[in-house]
Parts: sequence; C-alpha cells; structure tokens
Amino acid sequence: MKWPAFHHEAMATTFAIVIADHPRDYARQAAAAAFRELDRLESELSRYVESSDIARANRLAAGETISIGEDALHVMLIAADASLATDRAFDAAYASERFPDQPVDAPLFTLDPAAHTLTSHTARLHLDLGAVGKGYALDCMAAQLREWAITTACLQSGGSTALTLAAPAGHTGWPIGIGEDVTHRMLTLTDIALSGSGIAVQGTHLIDPRTGAPSPRATRTWALAPTAALSDALSTAFFIFSEEEIAAFCAAHPEIGGASAVSSTQLNVHGALASYPAIASI
Amino acid sequence: MSDLSSTPLSRRDFLSTSAKLGAFIAAAPYVARGADGTGPDQVNVAVIGCGEQGRILINAALKIPGVRFKAVCDIWSVNRNYAENILKKFGHDPKPFEDYRELLATVKDLDAVIIATPDFKHAEHTVAAHKAGKHVYCEKLMSNTVEGARSMVVASRESKKLLQLGHQRRSNPRYQHAKDKIVTGNRLLGRITNITGEWHRAVSADLGFPVGKGLTDAKLAEYGYANMHEFRNWRWFKKYAGGPMSDLGAHQIDVYNWMLGVNPSSCMASGGVDYYKTHEWYDNAIAIFEYPTKEGIVRATYNVLTTTSAGGGYHEYFMGDEGALKISESPKATKLYREARAPEWDEWTTKGVVAAPLSGEGAPPAVKPWEKVGVKKLGGPSKATVDVRETAALSAWDIPVTLDKAIHQPHLENFFDAIRKGTPLNCSGESAFATAVTILKINEAVAAQKTLTFAPGDFIA
Repeated sequence: MKWPAFHHEAMATTFAIVIADHPRDYARQAAAAAFRELDRLESELSRYVESSDIARANRLAAGETISIGEDALHVMLIAADASLATDRAFDAAYASERFPDQPVDAPLFTLDPAAHTLTSHTARLHLDLGAVGKGYALDCMAAQLREWAITTACLQSGGSTALTLAAPAGHTGWPIGIGEDVTHRMLTLTDIALSGSGIAVQGTHLIDPRTGAPSPRATRTWALAPTAALSDALSTAFFIFSEEEIAAFCAAHPEIGGASAVSSTQLNVHGALASYPAIASI
Repeated sequence: MSDLSSTPLSRRDFLSTSAKLGAFIAAAPYVARGADGTGPDQVNVAVIGCGEQGRILINAALKIPGVRFKAVCDIWSVNRNYAENILKKFGHDPKPFEDYRELLATVKDLDAVIIATPDFKHAEHTVAAHKAGKHVYCEKLMSNTVEGARSMVVASRESKKLLQLGHQRRSNPRYQHAKDKIVTGNRLLGRITNITGEWHRAVSADLGFPVGKGLTDAKLAEYGYANMHEFRNWRWFKKYAGGPMSDLGAHQIDVYNWMLGVNPSSCMASGGVDYYKTHEWYDNAIAIFEYPTKEGIVRATYNVLTTTSAGGGYHEYFMGDEGALKISESPKATKLYREARAPEWDEWTTKGVVAAPLSGEGAPPAVKPWEKVGVKKLGGPSKATVDVRETAALSAWDIPVTLDKAIHQPHLENFFDAIRKGTPLNCSGESAFATAVTILKINEAVAAQKTLTFAPGDFIA
C-alpha cells in the first residue's frame, strides 16, 4: 500500500508526514494542522525570528529575566536535562560568551517553570535549538495528529530525525534506514524516534562544547530515544562523544540506543539499538 | 492545538524520561525561582473566541505582567479547552463558557474583554461587553459591515469604555519609528508619491476538524453558522467576513492611512473567485487608491494573492522623491533606500534614525559551528564589477529598531496601559472605523467594476 506523504518547509529544512490507514483528504487536513503547529513553533523558537522567545533570550544582559511561552520553557527544560545527562556534549547554550572567571559547568541560564521566565547568567547568551528544536517540533506535531485521532504515522525533519507512531495495519512498524554503504540496514520501528548526526562538508568538524576544540569524528552517529526531542539532542551528543562514551551512556540509560559508523564496513551499535534483528546481522 | 499534558512530551512525563536518563535531579542547577517583584495593577480579562487568533493574543498577553485571565469563551470545545489548558499552565484559573452572554452575566470582576471571534460577531460581542461596562480589545477587521463597525464606536462612546482594534502594526516600535522619525518627522522619503503593498500566500487547503469533534447542526445554527465547513473556513464566506482583503489587506491598508495621516478619496479594484471551488470570497484581489495629501496625490496599489507565495510575502512600500521605505512585520523584509538626489543620511545614522547598509537585521549572519544540517560558509565579497548597462542598485539601509516582544504584545500593552493609566490608544474605535470603511469599499468596488469615491464624512462614525 502507498501511504500519502505531506511536506512542509520550516526551520530551514523540509518536514514530512506519512499517514497510514486514513482517507487521504482527512490525512491531508490533519497534516496541515500539524504543519500549522510547526510554523507556530518556529515563530516561538527560531533564533532567526526577531520576536521569538529564543531571539529575545539571546539579547539579554547578565541578570536580566524575560517571560517566555510554554513551548520555549518546555524545550529549554529538555535541553537543560539533555545537557546535564551528556555532561555538556550536547549544550544549546554552547556558543554563548562567558565571563572570563565563569566556571565551565556553571549554568548560563536558569528557568522558573512556575513563573515561565528565563534568566541569563552570562555575558551574552547564545541559545541555539538547532539540535533539539526540530525533534521537539516533531513531538508536538505527533501530539497534534493524535488530537486528530491519527495514531499510525511517521514524521521526519529533513532526514535527520524520524519519529514513528503506531505501525500501519498489517505491518509491524515503519521502515527507517540506519548505517551507511555495506552497513546500511532498514529497522522496523514503532513509537520511537531515531536521529542521525553528521557533517555535510568533509573536513569540517563540530566543536566539542566541553573543550571548545573540534570533535575528531567525521562519520555519522545515530540515537534512538522515546521522543524526537531527545533523539535529536542525543545524536548530536553522540557525534561529540567517543565510542566508549556512547557505549557507557547507552549502558546507563537502557531506553536509549546509539550507533556510529566507524568505517564504511563497520557500524558500532549500543543499548536499545542492539536488540533490533536487522542490526544484529551486521 | 494539542494539550501537551496528554502527550508523551508533557513536562511530567518528560521528567520521568529524564529521571530514567538520570538527569532530573541534576537538572536542578538550571531551575531557579525568579525574583519576586511588585508588578503593575492587576487587570482582569476574559477572552471571547479562542481559535487561532485568540490563542496568539492569549500567548502574547501571558507575557505582560499583571494580566489575569478570569474566563474563556468559545462555542467549540476544542478551542475552549486549549485556552483553558494553556492558561492553567501559567497559574491562571479561567472559567470556561460556551455562551458569551453567560460569561458577561456571571464573571463580575472583569475589567476588559479580548474579542477574537469571526468578523460578523465583532459588533454583537463588543456592544454587549461595553454595555456590561467592560473595556474591549477586538480583533480586526472591526466588522464585516459599516453599520456593525459604527455600532461598536457608538457603544464605546456611550459606555465611556475603551475600544482598541487589533491593527497591531500601529504599536510595533519599528513602524512607530518609521512614522515618527523617518516619514513624518525628518521626512527622509521627501514627498511621497506612491505606495505599493502586498500579501502573497501559497495555495492552502481548507481547514477540517478532528473526527468526532464537530459541532452539531443545531449548535451551529444556534450561533449562526451553516455547517462545519463554513464554521472552520469562515474567512472565505460573505456571511461571516470580508475575505483576504479584510483578513490580510486590512493590516496593511490601515498602515497606508495611518502613515499618510489621511484617508483615501477613491478606490478601484479587481478580484474574483478564480481558483478555489469551495469559497465565496475573492481569492485574488487588487486595489488602487488615491490619497489627497497636503503635498499632492499619492497613488497606492495593493495586491492580496492567495494562490502564490511569489514576490516574497508581505510588506508595505512607501516611495518618495528622496527615499523609499519598505516595511513589514518581518525585519528581513524591511529596508530603506535613499535616492541619489537626496541629501546624505550620515547625520541620521549618527542620530540613530537609520542604520547604514549591512549593519542591521539584514546583515549576513555570523557563522556558527553548531549547525546540524551541514555547516554553511559565507562566501567572500564578490569581485567588484562595473556594468555600464545598468543603473546601480540603491543601497539598502536599515531601521535600527528591534521588536523585542511577541508581535501582538505591544498593542495589548498599549490597551492595558490605557486602562491603568490613561495612555492614549494606538488604534481607537474611531480611527479603526476609517480603516474598516476603506477596506469594505474594496469589495464593493470589485463588485461594481468601477471607481468608487469616498466623502470625508464617510470615515466618521
């Protein structure tokens, strides 16, 4: 069966939604509602949108506080948690300007969930949700689809994150690719998110937020997580992590899976990803 | 709009996810109670109409200190529940209502009502709120009829309660700077001779509704709607609204009138239902106005297209003999151009009136290493070339003003400041009435297929 797919440009990439087991017209309307949610989130979270909460936060002086919306608060809490869980291998505030005497692990911002406020504690905050915002948007879009009573769908942001909901009737899951060249495999996924991270330009490296030095990794990494916001953030952290750190993280967090392409013929897999039969065959 | 508390991503559930990640306890350093301060006097408000625009206004008003939501009203539970849920997340406890009459009769300590219902209900809701002694912030277009708009002004006048209409550009600091420091004050454009403006949108599908959540036929009829399709897509039907000219054009043609300080003397227009099969209103329309300013006639055109995004979105473009101002709610589409014959603008750069080319919002973004989708490198400056066949492009200057708030927030703040301390409204009922008259004339001119004229008295409620 061919399922209808719908596309939308936002957050500097193309989002896609595939919906199974519903009439095409109804699926289109539900997807449109999800894309409206995506556009709304972009206006709240993009650092390129002048009036967004994130752009406003990035204009704060040290000690200043602003009111922020529910989504900015929510995604920043997720980002803060992911940053702490990964010892800042993921850090949405990485590019901020620090005071010379600021300890490297001092939080550069604080959130007051009751008051919905964000306070800057650094010389110039530079929040960038580029590695968590698209995943967060996918989670919110999936919630929108559930409002429309759609539970069998697969959502993607720019090919870097896939969020699968329940399997289409007659199938065991959604086919999602992982690995490269000879290690490429199709996983069958439901109710889970898979993200990949890499560098598009050979010879360019991501900066390790923990050290400020370029990460030596040049090949792709993947993270499997219960939500797209987490898989998005963690695939980035895994790109920064060493092989040992990815393995240790997945061992400590059984819900999380990790993978890294160490060569064109070798895919290292960890944690929850290792139990997938397609992976086990590598 | 979804209720996040029912999704896997709710904060409560997320925290459990985080707990599994071992991060929740550690997250404490990032969570701190903000400083307590004494805020301004509390203003108690209710929202009537919690659809797409109502939600935008709620989310903007939530960022304004001292605003307390006491009630929300919508005939559709999907909208009502959203509003109630988002407000509860911010510690408000709004009473939900289906019928605005019950709300106005029951909630006694209200100061103001925010109205974001379909246009054909604005007059009914505004007049009732004023009669109940409430100040009103009502979305534009003021009404789908001149009579409706006039009744709102009269109700405001008789009740001595404030009426602000949602032409929010009038409170946008960039637009205010453009009017006060560039166009009117300092006259950097010289004599304005022309205006063009546009809002172009790509084709979009009609709105549907989640299965099982439609209103009953009886309920729709009770509130004046023919069916769910018209209820969800009311902007496209003549009974409820004025179509794209009213939905989109009203914002921008309001800026024409406001920036020039005069209303037009004539209007000709063309439009039609050329594309969509399920709408009544013109999907593409073009209007031409004459404005009789003190310095002479200003000719203005305006396009609203709903079948193409070509042309770059939405802006108003004021053209004078010494300079031109292209202004938009989007800073990226906002630019200033100086004619070669005009005096240099160095003085205005020093005084902060304009920003030199490539120094403002339009400047190339700094390269950041933290991009997930590849790392984009900026190209170096292109090799200087001289092409003698073409006139050199005018340099694009910027307006050195940033909107550091949600787009609708300054206009709501102006309304609440008017309630608290008598600040003049930026878009009172009287001034918005003139805009409503201007806009409603466009659709009339399309139908009449001839130039229609305005008498100065037409703009007075």
